[in-house]
Amino acid sequence: MFVLPPPPRYPVAGYPGAPGGGQLIETNNTLTHPTGPEHQLVVGEGTYVLRDNLHLATPPPHPSEAPVHNPNPLATTVSPPTAGTKLSIVVVAPRQQSHSRLFRLDTANSTRSQVPPSIQESPNESNSQASDAGSQSVNGNGVTAAPREGLHAPAFGSGNSALAVLNGKDSKDPLKRRKPKSNIVKSNSSFVSRVIPHEALTKRLQEHNPNGLYAFANVNRALQWLDLTSSTKEEHFTKILFTKAHALCHDVNQSTKGPGHVDIILGFSTGDIIWYEPMSQKYTRINKNGAINSTAVSDIRWLPNSENLFLAAHMDGSLIVYDKEKEDAPFVAEDQEQVQAETEKKARLVVKKSVNSKNQKFNPVSYWKTSNSKINAFAFSPDCRHVAVVSEDGSFRIIDFLKEQLLHQYMSYYGGMICVCWSPDGRYVVTGGQDDLVSIWSLEDSMLVARCQGHNSWVTAVQFDPWRCDERNYRIGSVGEDCRLLLWDFSVGMLHRPRAASVRQRSSVTSATLKMQRTRTDGSNTRLRSNSNLTSGSMLDEEEVVHEVEPRARTAMLPPVMAKKVDEHPLCWLGFEEDCIMTSCSNGHIRTYDRPKEGAGSEEVSTTASASNA
Amino acid sequence: MASFFGRLKAGNGPASPASSAPPAKKDPNAPQLTPLEKLLQDAGPVRADGSDKFFGFENFGSTCYCNSIVQCLYYSVPFREQVINFPARSPPEALERPATGPLPRLNTNLLPDANAQNSTLSPKGRNSFSAPNAASPRKPVLTPGGTIIPGQPQKPEDNKDSPEYKKKQALAAGPVLSMDYENSKAYGMSESLFSALKDIFEAVIAHPSHIGVVSPHKFLEILRRENEMFRTPMHQDAHEFLNLLLNEVVENVEHFSKTRVHEIEDKDTNATISQSDAVVNGTAPSNIGWVHELFEGTLTSETRCLTCENTSQRDEAFLDLSVDLEQHSSVTSCLRKFSEEEMLCERNKFHCDKCGGLQEAEKRMKVKRLPRILALHLKRFKYTEDLQRLQKLFHRVVYPYYLRLFNTTDDAEDPDRLYELYAVVVHIGGGPYHGHYVSIIKTQDRGWLLFDDEMVEPVDKAYVRRFFGGEDQLACAYVLFYQETTEEAMMKEQEEESLAAAEQAAEVNTEPISVTTPKANGLGLANGHDHNLATTPTVEKDDQFASLNHAVTAPALHTGEHSNNLEHVATSIPILGKRQSNIASKKEKAERVKEEKERKAMEKELEKQAKAKRKELEVQRRELFRKQEEDLRAALAASRESATEENKKRGKDGGAELPELEKDKSANGLGSISKGSGLSRFRHSSMSLRHKPKFWSGSKDDRKDDPEMPSTPVVAEVEQAAQGTPGKEEKKNRFSLGRKKSTFHL
Repeated sequence: MFVLPPPPRYPVAGYPGAPGGGQLIETNNTLTHPTGPEHQLVVGEGTYVLRDNLHLATPPPHPSEAPVHNPNPLATTVSPPTAGTKLSIVVVAPRQQSHSRLFRLDTANSTRSQVPPSIQESPNESNSQASDAGSQSVNGNGVTAAPREGLHAPAFGSGNSALAVLNGKDSKDPLKRRKPKSNIVKSNSSFVSRVIPHEALTKRLQEHNPNGLYAFANVNRALQWLDLTSSTKEEHFTKILFTKAHALCHDVNQSTKGPGHVDIILGFSTGDIIWYEPMSQKYTRINKNGAINSTAVSDIRWLPNSENLFLAAHMDGSLIVYDKEKEDAPFVAEDQEQVQAETEKKARLVVKKSVNSKNQKFNPVSYWKTSNSKINAFAFSPDCRHVAVVSEDGSFRIIDFLKEQLLHQYMSYYGGMICVCWSPDGRYVVTGGQDDLVSIWSLEDSMLVARCQGHNSWVTAVQFDPWRCDERNYRIGSVGEDCRLLLWDFSVGMLHRPRAASVRQRSSVTSATLKMQRTRTDGSNTRLRSNSNLTSGSMLDEEEVVHEVEPRARTAMLPPVMAKKVDEHPLCWLGFEEDCIMTSCSNGHIRTYDRPKEGAGSEEVSTTASASNA
Repeated sequence: MASFFGRLKAGNGPASPASSAPPAKKDPNAPQLTPLEKLLQDAGPVRADGSDKFFGFENFGSTCYCNSIVQCLYYSVPFREQVINFPARSPPEALERPATGPLPRLNTNLLPDANAQNSTLSPKGRNSFSAPNAASPRKPVLTPGGTIIPGQPQKPEDNKDSPEYKKKQALAAGPVLSMDYENSKAYGMSESLFSALKDIFEAVIAHPSHIGVVSPHKFLEILRRENEMFRTPMHQDAHEFLNLLLNEVVENVEHFSKTRVHEIEDKDTNATISQSDAVVNGTAPSNIGWVHELFEGTLTSETRCLTCENTSQRDEAFLDLSVDLEQHSSVTSCLRKFSEEEMLCERNKFHCDKCGGLQEAEKRMKVKRLPRILALHLKRFKYTEDLQRLQKLFHRVVYPYYLRLFNTTDDAEDPDRLYELYAVVVHIGGGPYHGHYVSIIKTQDRGWLLFDDEMVEPVDKAYVRRFFGGEDQLACAYVLFYQETTEEAMMKEQEEESLAAAEQAAEVNTEPISVTTPKANGLGLANGHDHNLATTPTVEKDDQFASLNHAVTAPALHTGEHSNNLEHVATSIPILGKRQSNIASKKEKAERVKEEKERKAMEKELEKQAKAKRKELEVQRRELFRKQEEDLRAALAASRESATEENKKRGKDGGAELPELEKDKSANGLGSISKGSGLSRFRHSSMSLRHKPKFWSGSKDDRKDDPEMPSTPVVAEVEQAAQGTPGKEEKKNRFSLGRKKSTFHL
């Protein structure tokens, strides 16, 4: 039996001073500028041209973690979860965001009108946290942050005095950002293996254009801090090597960022979470050794407009809100809830610890469980009230996280769901998954709007391009395991066409619509009551919560406007910036495509382009 | 003396997973329970439907293609049921059994278990090719004493984690069902692959043990007798075999029902119909088409002539779909590509009936009737022109646990049918001419299991996803089995799976030692880091035995303690309240341990009682059985007589009859052209893509060439194959049936 040798990933060379020789060494990132038509994306509005291809060096395994070479391909040893390169991007100086116009209150109102105003809303007006965040950005940066409509939504947990007291305690001095406790460079923690700062870090920090992009990218067991606008962007600012844990997800806090401060949280394969401040090189470890939840963190995000709180999705289906500054305490489900959870097996969202719990001295702040299957991703709505959660079991849930209540549960066509994203106006949610489909869901109609078919493999990331969206037309991008980037345009007008007519004529159009009506009424008869263990009461009793899978014959199929293989490896992340589209792959390649020159920022062009394409 | 011992062992059979535990206790050095045994510790008495049987299959040298496919079919529940129930559920007494029958064969089979050590150390390589003769190929080595599990220390070089070791152990532990007999007469059928398959299924189901090893001698014998290409000890194509087997079964069943109808007509005149035949007569003709019902779907190929715009439709039946692969794609996309429009042009023009003559045309194939079981063949073996031979494609092709088909026709019934993945045949190796096949199968209530010849091992659900393929992946999925299911069933199962995972997590957390020890490969305790818990990726850990716990008999003890158990995990963190919880948890733990002990004692007691009872029953049963056996033998003798008479009468048309076959066998030495005609059974051939006509013609050419340039390690094998000219003759015949196959058969 001959064995195909795996492609050499590292230059095999002697590592000076390393025992045994043949050790793998650290390598540098490489930057290439491939040109040619195969590196261009041709869309209606123009041609996106590859600016560069940055390859992040995969770090060698930790010396104590020599790779286990198991010659048996059937070995049943379990390998820890890992993730391809993803980026968290931050612009320290808040721009007058061109896409802020898309966070429209009027359009989003329709979404919100679905949810009756919460009883908590009025006390929230005096909420310290939200106003703090607002004032902070004014004070700290001298520039008003793009007014997110989230300011109109109550802050998470604002009804709870136990939480408010603690938050209010330190907010006396809003000018001074609190930093994490330990220095990562001097750390002797066995969790962090090495920190490699750039030799001219301070100089480069000073040179950094405040409007430029900082990126934090994970590669294997490393996390790199990059300056994407620098001419030497392949040289990382800081590289942190963790001993064995892989950072699977990370997020930058947009409401605390500033020229001298960036809060980033990292979720690890070991379940640990690190709050890291790169400028001061300080960090704090949360959920240490899985004290609260021992399963890997699959996705992590700061709560919108919150300085301290972030939500982590663990692989056992738990959604946990942590406070970056609180200590861990071993988690026990709060009694009455647990009893209820145990008795009420049908509960779709078990609140193990409510944000309204009086016991808020330690982490977690709140602890929910959707199901036992792995959560692959989640996303907060632009109105800062809802979170969309997608899981490996193919479910897609919309949760009102302020009320800790499940609003909707949909299913994929088949297979697990991998990624989720909200439209900038909060009216649509887009998911991608193992059915090779990008699915567009409407919140107003609480239904599947269209399925987008075009990927040749699983869809790993979806994003709206806010610079090419307006009230009626939306641009969606998606990347997948097929190494391809696809762009989709859909317009509201198109969506209101009778769906059966937009697909190829099927034999049973009328019967299908009849059937749909029937299933709808059936659905409301057999609907599941929302959890009664919710503190805010069941406001949404009238809503049907669990939705059935739509047959293919009744759903519109949307073709892509552009499909292009952009990488040699499965892609895992996609980002839209004002001047570019970025993708990253499982192997650490970050590709940046410049937007077409004349089309960028011009609303008319974008509208006509997307309209003609739709 | 030996036979006495053997019988005793057989009596112990039902408790085999449990009965191996006591000696383990006596002897601290005794080997631990295998993962499978651990899994089955709570298994109750055997069920009648065979859903709780986990038998490995012995490999007689490159017969893994057969083992992996037969395993998949066994766990295709409706298929298994049909095999057992066709022509009719045979009364168990009527069948010859490998282990329960009081025949001397039993001894040779069971002796190797009596001295596991010897057979483990014996130089008998599992790769040595042994002809499927009637005698057991294993070398029975006698040792005095004959302890079931010897306490002698293992040879150090015998790596206990190696599959080879585990396979030897499985063979040694037994029970081994030597399938070197046949019951076709009892089924009222002629000897065929189907009857041999039925024999295997019946024997496995009837055996009182949950685990064991099947030695499918007869099955392979028939297979090789009737199919030239499988006669060599070479690596074979598992999909090829699946196709052959399904078609054989179809043919055998059809043949049987034809003759049956015939016989019923003759019944009045012919009074020599045997006892077992009489049982069969009532039900036989009603369910002939069950293989079709399960595996068969319909493809509609629409061809539109580009000259006259005339569209012609043709329906074709398929038993499995062969799809071309692309790098970095999914099964969904492969299936969609399968149904994409293709141009028929140049050498591949279409003969249009309307305009008369070869014309350019557009063709596409869509699924009109969806099969209940969808067997998907990923065409990993592809002819490459620059290398002039078949090559394995290591493309990464992802497959989801659940699937629906996009490529259905507009008028298809239930076009949104949901399928679930339940079996994967994996090919391990660098090329098509060699390698190994294993299967990973989802069992009804024991989750996913890896079937690697003799070895059966529980694996976690995520393990199934390791065989997507990729540049450095030697092991890739080759055949995928999806079966129809419902959304409700899917939800229920996912809930159960994840619940089991949570329970598993709870259990793992109560025994921190067991968490770290399996990680002895340095992952767990590296550098004495304080986060040994963190090092175990708990999710994966959970998943590992995720679905193993849904057995009904599982103690409900650990449910709901998940969150409590988390306390133990956190004891190293210096926070208020830690002490308290620690103490509480310790107390709890002690209680739990106590409970556990009590429960175990109870179980043991029960087990003992059950064993005694079973033994008693066994004795009674055997007595009864002997009586029936005698009756039966008389009946069988009568039926045999009648059968030979019938044979004489029927003469040539009974192709599968024994005397005929013997003739055939001798003819095969000269050349198998005569066999070629028999291959018309491939009319239900798998459908293939013809997107790139040049490949088609290219591979056609290739088939005429001989494969003189395969990869180096198999030169000897290939030379051997190159000499086998009759095989090539057969090949041509096979492919002339318009069936495009990427595989090359040696």
